[in-house]
Amino acid sequence: MNNKELIASMALKMNAPKSVVAFLLETTVTTCSELLVENKTIGFQSFGNFEVRKKEERLSVHPSTQIRTLIPPKLVVNFKQSTILKDKLKDISHHE
Amino acid sequence: MNKEKISSQEIIDLVASKASVSKRAAEEFLKVMIVSVEEGLLAGEVVKIKNFGTFKLQWNEPRKSVNVQTGDEILITGYYKVVFVPDAVLKEQVNEPFAHLEPVELDIQTKKNELIIEEEAVSDPLRLFNEQASEIKNLISEIQALSSKSTNADPEKKIDKEIIAEKEQTIVTDVTDQEIEETSTDDELQVIIDHEVELNEENQDYPPVTIDNEKDNYQVQLEIPEEDLNSDLPTTPYLDNIKSSNKRKVWVWSLLILLLLSISGTGAYLYYSSQSDFSDKNSATKISEKISITEILNTISGWFTPAAKPVTKSKTIVIPKDTTAFDSISQIQPVDSIQILFDNPRVYTDFIASERIKEGSRLTIMSKRYYGNKDFWVYIYEANKDKIMNPDNIAIGTLIRIPKLDPRLIDVSNPRCIEKAKELHDIYIN
Repeated sequence: MNNKELIASMALKMNAPKSVVAFLLETTVTTCSELLVENKTIGFQSFGNFEVRKKEERLSVHPSTQIRTLIPPKLVVNFKQSTILKDKLKDISHHE
Repeated sequence: MNKEKISSQEIIDLVASKASVSKRAAEEFLKVMIVSVEEGLLAGEVVKIKNFGTFKLQWNEPRKSVNVQTGDEILITGYYKVVFVPDAVLKEQVNEPFAHLEPVELDIQTKKNELIIEEEAVSDPLRLFNEQASEIKNLISEIQALSSKSTNADPEKKIDKEIIAEKEQTIVTDVTDQEIEETSTDDELQVIIDHEVELNEENQDYPPVTIDNEKDNYQVQLEIPEEDLNSDLPTTPYLDNIKSSNKRKVWVWSLLILLLLSISGTGAYLYYSSQSDFSDKNSATKISEKISITEILNTISGWFTPAAKPVTKSKTIVIPKDTTAFDSISQIQPVDSIQILFDNPRVYTDFIASERIKEGSRLTIMSKRYYGNKDFWVYIYEANKDKIMNPDNIAIGTLIRIPKLDPRLIDVSNPRCIEKAKELHDIYIN
């Protein structure tokens, strides 16, 4: 499901035009990312937490050339699902 | 790191104020959003939100675990996990504080380390050998002390031991002499060849020496039982042990010496073969076929290159002359204008902004902010050269002026501009 499909399904549920939904979604995304940039954790009830984690710098070695490279530290967004969501997902049968 | 947790209620408030809608509408929207994302996931789909990221499901296989308290085995059932992969836009926004950092290759340092290790390897056998020599000397002196202690020590036995000691010492001195010769007279290849001959001679020499020692040992062992009748017992096994260890040591030496000589010989040989640039023919004639072959190859290639090289050289020289001197065609002009822009010394007169250096300020970050690419920091540095001693470490409180640059110079889409900036970067950093 891509962005368009998501907006369409949301518009159907809210009985609102797609343009309004798209605008609201955009503002939510920008507010969320702004909060994450400020290094804050966002918790959505019954969905999960978004938080920023710092990956420390590390030394990596190229397996074939043996060149050692120092990878600088970086900040990444991490999502952890809530237990409620996890329980919901248990209903899906696994077939592979 | 202080981590404030923002609840969904706060998000709702923020969204409501930003989008200027009622809180109820915002709340409803957020609920619907989460529900539809969940639905998408439950349907086994990948849900993508623009500029934010994608949610997908990941199957975690069932695995065995152990109850920490009871030690019983438990089976953790497989489950689905929601994985969030942030969009490139969000990634960049979040990683802003570290965006100026780049991976650094450390291969130059490792090469140096390798060299050091090689040197150590060369010096190691010598050190080892010296240690062993001193160890054996100590052992010999111990034996002598022991034999003098024992009351009715046979004079004959003493002499034998002294002979052994002398022999061992002569071996030690011989070898050390050779070592010194080896290391000091690395001047001519002839010497090395001589050494190799010596080495072969020594090869033949060693077995008799050891056999002699063994003979001595037998003599001693034969004599000792006779003495045992009236002398104290514990001396004999001790002596035997020492003898056998000496024997072993002699073998170890001989092997070590051979190894060392061959290694240093070949090392010096290779070193000289690469060094003697076929200039002094005296040595060249002496050395083996390897060099003569390379010499032949060199001369062969020499016949071909004089004919070929001048042609290519003249070609490469002629082309730029033509374009610069006679060309007024518009096709080449834009390229040249940038080149001229690059080559001319830049004069900074206009400034867009000025910034004071704070803790954590970086020219690369400023460059990214004002010019759109961190590589263009070199121009900021150039404009403020009088104030910056070291671009890697600028004093806090320094007022940095951001120069107004020709847009062609800082064209992010033009790889040549970035290339040029990187060139300058290399000049200033190294």
